[in-house]
Amino acid sequence: MTETLARGPIQEAMTGCLERHGGRAAVAGGGLSLSYADLGARIREAVLLLRELPGDAPRHVGFCLGNRPEYVILYFATLYAGHLPLLLDANFNTGEIEAIRGDCGLDALVTERAKAEALAVPGKGEPVPYGEEVVVLPLARAAELPYRPRPSTQVCRFTSGTTGRPKCLEFSGEAVVSAARNWVLGTGMTGDDRTLCLAALSNGLAFNTSLLSTFLAGGQIHFLKGAPLTRPVARRIAEAGITRLVAFPTLYRNFVAPGGPEPATMASLKHAISAGAPLWPDVREEFRHRYGLDISDYYGIAETGPCTFERSADHHAGLGEPLPGVEIRIAPGEDDPAVGEVLVRTSSMASGYLNHPGMFEARVDAEGFYHSGDRGRIADGRLHLVGRTQDHINVAGRKIDPTEIVAVVTALDGVADAVAFPDEDLNREALVHLVVVAADPGLTRGAVAEACRSRLAPYKVPGRISFVPEIPRTGIGKPRIAVLREQLNASPQ
Amino acid sequence: MNDDDRLAMKKRVQRLVYMAAGGKISEEELGRYDTDLRDLGLDSLGYLNLLEGLERTFGVAIDLDQETDHSFLHTIDNIVRYVAVQRGEAA
Repeated sequence: MTETLARGPIQEAMTGCLERHGGRAAVAGGGLSLSYADLGARIREAVLLLRELPGDAPRHVGFCLGNRPEYVILYFATLYAGHLPLLLDANFNTGEIEAIRGDCGLDALVTERAKAEALAVPGKGEPVPYGEEVVVLPLARAAELPYRPRPSTQVCRFTSGTTGRPKCLEFSGEAVVSAARNWVLGTGMTGDDRTLCLAALSNGLAFNTSLLSTFLAGGQIHFLKGAPLTRPVARRIAEAGITRLVAFPTLYRNFVAPGGPEPATMASLKHAISAGAPLWPDVREEFRHRYGLDISDYYGIAETGPCTFERSADHHAGLGEPLPGVEIRIAPGEDDPAVGEVLVRTSSMASGYLNHPGMFEARVDAEGFYHSGDRGRIADGRLHLVGRTQDHINVAGRKIDPTEIVAVVTALDGVADAVAFPDEDLNREALVHLVVVAADPGLTRGAVAEACRSRLAPYKVPGRISFVPEIPRTGIGKPRIAVLREQLNASPQ
Repeated sequence: MNDDDRLAMKKRVQRLVYMAAGGKISEEELGRYDTDLRDLGLDSLGYLNLLEGLERTFGVAIDLDQETDHSFLHTIDNIVRYVAVQRGEAA
């Protein structure tokens, strides 16, 4: 890389990787296979393209794209061009993209050609093709933004916010590099590792465990085109000699279901990593039994980066030991001082929420520990979670505030009362269960569902809707969820 | 494939969709085989489970990258037609 490229901790770390590992394989997926030297050349070409973007420096470049080599090239090119990458969930809808645009500013969106064409937003420019399927879509920025990133911010990622406004987390370059370095050190990643990354790169799990960390170690990152079904996943593992699989609980459950791939196809795999949602203990057990490998149910927080990892093959309980650069404390609980809120201090913490000033800072104590909202304990040096101190509902790794759903539903004509709480479907996937008291006897489940679909992001739409004559509440009006569950179990709808 | 075979396959696919959705869509709602499953609330996770189920139940390999038009997954009718063609049975 030449001196004309922008500098910063991530660029310096990546430049070192590209120089050290030149001829080694770096990225593969979608028919594309790049060495470190190839990757460097592609990044340099893409920098020229990104520097042509209209707008004031630094341009804010949103990534709304599934995993693929072009993501990696354009992400690093954005940094080397001196722009700010904002990593959006590829499933964000137009409303969420527009909310981000209004809060944080987007000068361009890296996305699939079809999504760019379908995106109906004002100020949309002419898409600039990058390869056959990806485009850089210029967007006109609002004259005055309500929020400005900190000068140290090099990357922004998002967590699900309330009322359709994703919360924008700012990370300094030092924090990003630190998370990657600590993952390499703490998990024993080497240049021989080939990581198949099936979790979205916009997610902290994939971002921290697979992107810069892979390159720091001199390893390879692989992507799978198409749906992550067990058959093509197993085939890729066997063909490419994949050593690390970064995935999510549903995939592991499908692996151990009857008819799942043969163990021989997984012989090269050394680490199977799961995150985004809690892994079912029986799936973990069955995977170990079938494939002879423990799934690392790693613990990470969007705001702090990766926290724990289990390296011992003999340890099967808990979420592993703290990674380097991570300190974990348990705030003594009222009933049991050994069980309480998990407090985390890491060298890879976010700097704050760009569009919710003060919200992150309010959860960090005087000693710099982030109050996670999770309840847990430490045993044998491992973190064990026992629940949450807050009422958020975690659906596929996205935290949903039930009050937002209740507010939407209780505003409908014909609804007298409502409550939303976490539940499970028949596959034990987490869902939002909405219970409604109808003031209008003609109110239907379909009408409530349709109202939710039209007013909420898709992942917030309740997976189950029940009607009851009355919601049991405490003297101060708090819904008694346990009692309600018993009532619903006694007379399922 | 005669009418009885076709109806039997629709019922098997209906059951697969019900299971793939984790019971969030009722079998009654799935009883209209021309209804768009996305409108009924089948999400990306549900589709992932459905594709796994179709592969394992009917022995067909479904490669979404090779299919430019994914409308064959939008209704139970369409799925049955697709599976029948993949299996070399007249739809």
